[in-house]
Amino acid sequence: MVSEYNNPRTRYYIYAVAVFVSFFVLLPIYILVIISFAPSSQTIDIYYPYLIPTKLTLVNFINSFRGVGTLLEAAFFKSLETAFIVAALAILLGFHAAFGLNRLPLRVNSTLIGILFFSTMIPSITIAIPISVTFLKAGLYDTSVGLALAQELVVLPLTVFILMGTLDSIPKQLEQQSRVDGASFFQTLYLVIFPLAVPGIVSAFLLSWLMSWDEFTFAALISPVHPTLPFLIYLYASSRGGSILTGASFALLVTIPVIVLTIILSKFIKGGYLTSGITG
Amino acid sequence: MILPAVIYVTYLAFYPAIEAVYGSFQTIRGTYTVYNYQFVFGTFGRIEFPALHLSIPTPIYNTFVITLTALVLQFSLALIIASLLSKPFKGRAAFSALFLIPFGVATVVTGLIFHNMFSTYGGYANSFLRAIGLRPINWTGSYWTSTIVLILADAWKNTPIVTLILLAGMTSISPDIYSQSMVDGAGVFQRFFRITLPNLKGFIVIALMIRGISEFNIFAMALLVYPYQLLTTMTYALYDTVNAHPSYAAGSILLAFVLIFAVIIMTYRGRYRGV
Repeated sequence: MVSEYNNPRTRYYIYAVAVFVSFFVLLPIYILVIISFAPSSQTIDIYYPYLIPTKLTLVNFINSFRGVGTLLEAAFFKSLETAFIVAALAILLGFHAAFGLNRLPLRVNSTLIGILFFSTMIPSITIAIPISVTFLKAGLYDTSVGLALAQELVVLPLTVFILMGTLDSIPKQLEQQSRVDGASFFQTLYLVIFPLAVPGIVSAFLLSWLMSWDEFTFAALISPVHPTLPFLIYLYASSRGGSILTGASFALLVTIPVIVLTIILSKFIKGGYLTSGITG
Repeated sequence: MILPAVIYVTYLAFYPAIEAVYGSFQTIRGTYTVYNYQFVFGTFGRIEFPALHLSIPTPIYNTFVITLTALVLQFSLALIIASLLSKPFKGRAAFSALFLIPFGVATVVTGLIFHNMFSTYGGYANSFLRAIGLRPINWTGSYWTSTIVLILADAWKNTPIVTLILLAGMTSISPDIYSQSMVDGAGVFQRFFRITLPNLKGFIVIALMIRGISEFNIFAMALLVYPYQLLTTMTYALYDTVNAHPSYAAGSILLAFVLIFAVIIMTYRGRYRGV
């Protein structure tokens, strides 16, 4: 096979671009770390901050958590709770929808997929205001459940697409076999199909979890009084003055676990997931 | 079994959307009016194009500028990174995990970092410019520098997702086609424009759809690093629990733009369904 990959010059270009891209990917993370760990006299309190700090300190972190420990704790648990409700609900609704969509005739199927896909086009901010008005009346305003119900909109179509791809790869014969052996429809669904779909379900769960953890628009409009972590960080970052340090410390706290999760998940996060439901 | 999911999105997405459009034509007393729209456009000024005899409301103009520039930047970068990742080289596994990192960093955190990098006082961008002997720039001071900061921050966060989609497309192109064309004497650029791009069209359209819509909806990042009004931040600025009707109007305008964009892309996609 003819190939240029072994050409040393091509290889040189590949590494040059890879190093260049890596540098720009890591640079903002580096800056977040030094703002959090260098003394403020070398970062935000001077006109030209040190590109490489000469001293590291934990003072920013300690100060950040001293004053607002309970606020942070509340926001952390609210984010966590919301993200788990969103992810669990996404699997519950998404698994059944995906199963059904795979079984339907093509014409009906594509109409329903169209409806789901169309719902993701509606801007969050347009519907967040009417939703918050409705939730105020229903007593769901500012609660984790209410926020999760709204965030679900962003997550659900994607979950359905991922699970459709997963369920499609499970042979139909297995299902027929289990029916022949006397299992009821729901036994087949939960005891045969569900376990086989676990890899796809796990990645759909984690992706929904991540999206909820990051979600801002609904959080800002539906739960502003008891904020989630992203909105709390925004409140700190947008106010001028020393509290940017608090914002940076919180931001680092939010970011590290998610970066670890992203790297672990990088095998599962594939562009194919996003396109499978649409190209299919 | 599909019904719960469909009822769900209907009740919580379509119904509120209709409510917003309906509410945008109402006054607080329930009578009908177009005053909300006049108010929305009157509040944030217009930008004049004397040569074209045109004047566009500023938030709409800004939204267009940001969406277009951000898409161009992200797709150019994503094409470069995807073609890199489609080639075998030592360390590719590590690089493909590394370039995904921004995908996991929350939008607000990205906004916070870029806000800090480009602030006039204590900003790292200026520190760097001074270190290499250039004059510092007042990033937040002018329209174009603010725009650059916003699209850079947005590109940092969102290029990975575009890259993933384009990469899925590139790996679906058979390597035989490339070998064959090389035998026939096609150069790097010919191969890119004659083979890679045409074969990627379907994937580019999907990525355009996903990113384009989110680009219209850019919100948290804009609140943090962009001092001018976009359609989204305008909606938020007008939000008032006492009288939500002006913000309904702003939201409806945004909805209209997203739908027009989607229809254009869909029409275009229809022509390349064969991919």
